[in-house]
Amino acid sequence: MSMLDINGRQIEIDEDGFIVDPASWNEDIVSYFAKQEDVSELTENHWKVINYLRQYFQQFGIAPMIRKLCKDTGFTLKEIYELFPSGPAKGACKLAGLPKPTGCV
Amino acid sequence: MKPPMHVAKDSEVALIGYPRIPEQDQQAAFLKKLDDLRVSMRSLMVMLENCTKCGNCAKQCHSYLGTEDYNNFPAARAELMRRIYKRYFTWTGRTFGRFFGAEDFDADTISKWLTYFYQCNECRRCAKFCPFGIDTAEVTIAARHILSEIGIMPKFMQGIAVNMNKTGNNMGIPKPAIIDCAEFMEDEMREETGLAIKIPIDKPNSEVLYIPSSADFFTNIDTMIGAAKLFHYLGVNWTIPSTVLEAANFGLLFNVNVMREQNQRLKAAATALGAKLVIQGECGHGWRAAKMYTDGCSGPVSFELVHILDYCDKHLDKLPLKKLPLRATLHDPCNYARAGEIIEQPRRIMRACVEEFVEMTPNRDENYCCGGGSGILMDEMMEIRMKLGKKKAEQVKALGRIDYLAMPCSICKAQIPAVMKHYGVLDLPMGGVMDLVGKAMLLGDTK
Repeated sequence: MSMLDINGRQIEIDEDGFIVDPASWNEDIVSYFAKQEDVSELTENHWKVINYLRQYFQQFGIAPMIRKLCKDTGFTLKEIYELFPSGPAKGACKLAGLPKPTGCV
Repeated sequence: MKPPMHVAKDSEVALIGYPRIPEQDQQAAFLKKLDDLRVSMRSLMVMLENCTKCGNCAKQCHSYLGTEDYNNFPAARAELMRRIYKRYFTWTGRTFGRFFGAEDFDADTISKWLTYFYQCNECRRCAKFCPFGIDTAEVTIAARHILSEIGIMPKFMQGIAVNMNKTGNNMGIPKPAIIDCAEFMEDEMREETGLAIKIPIDKPNSEVLYIPSSADFFTNIDTMIGAAKLFHYLGVNWTIPSTVLEAANFGLLFNVNVMREQNQRLKAAATALGAKLVIQGECGHGWRAAKMYTDGCSGPVSFELVHILDYCDKHLDKLPLKKLPLRATLHDPCNYARAGEIIEQPRRIMRACVEEFVEMTPNRDENYCCGGGSGILMDEMMEIRMKLGKKKAEQVKALGRIDYLAMPCSICKAQIPAVMKHYGVLDLPMGGVMDLVGKAMLLGDTK
């Protein structure tokens, strides 16, 4: 694990670069991770996905099923990949401050 | 030598009950664990005593063929253990040392074991072609077990064990989320068929317990939907236990004591419910663990254990199937074809579900592993994983145009799409065999 300095705040990240404590998430982290995950510009559509992921995680403590994410945000999986080139489970979850989905994914 | 994966830290291994043995005591503990297996796992001794280094296995191992790394040649991989065994447990090795192929335990032993025993997919293809039947998967299982017993394991394995302890599944899905996912899938089926097809969670008085892979509640939902439609049509009184939402048993892949504990969870869930039949979902190694080790880990048990593809195959004639207009092929998960007797069932099912079924070559018990087998799904190992998947990509490419690649195992479902993309096979739909059953079944509005 290591610490990131994001605009003067120390944020702990794990080996995969995901934040360790979901409560340490803030909007500055999103801009910082966006560059790492090949998201060139954060648009309203990115925020729609990020906010949905955060809200689902707060309610259920886990990332939503990929198809539910698509259905509830109105994006196709292809569009999600266009928004987050490293995919919903990696890039989108990372920006939203969720733990990295693990297991057979 | 630095292992290619993130290794779990002291605090992390302690969390799952396998504290790291301090460095100065590691050699003694390591040799003690090897000695324990030497006595208790006599099959391992057959593997260690009989290799003649004929080289047959090199030509048959996708790991060696893909990485071209000498230590991934199965005989050389097993040699990593064999040399230590000779040095400490044979008089010739003790006396003549290196001249008899013996090697001291040294500062590099552990990282070398971590590096190479986690590039073996435990696929057993080498055993199929070895004149002595030497099964490197057994050596790898033993090696990973010894490492984890002294508190050394990939972070990936440790993280899964944490999730398993917390929630009963690899992904760490809590019960409210399981229920939410099941309701979502029910809605999907209602929209498609107009029918109220249920995915019951923890339903009392159920006769059948279905054990899906937790990935079926995240990425592979069509596999789950296929199984739910099958049970619905057959009128099965079934449920999924929220305590064991997991066909996988990663214990088999890093620590056999963990495997036993997890298998006992399965027995506890089935016993609590009074289920007479337990059906395992699409998961390769999990099927091997359940089929081959339930009696040993948890026996005697009062339920029958079958695989969903075997179950589906037995009821195939009754199902209202309409062939899908697809040219489809099947990737045989190693643990079905070489360790679990699931070979012809998926073929019969697929022939009933698609217009054209084609075999990749080689197939059945000679098929190549996807390269993710035995839980080599670490993101940080992606480059190696792609090399391990090279033979699979060549097999698929050799088929020309296909419309669907069936891979009825969650590890394969996680690994193969990445492999295909890496080797330039784009836009090929892939998924499970039960996915096809769900799509080919004429139910409600789809009639």
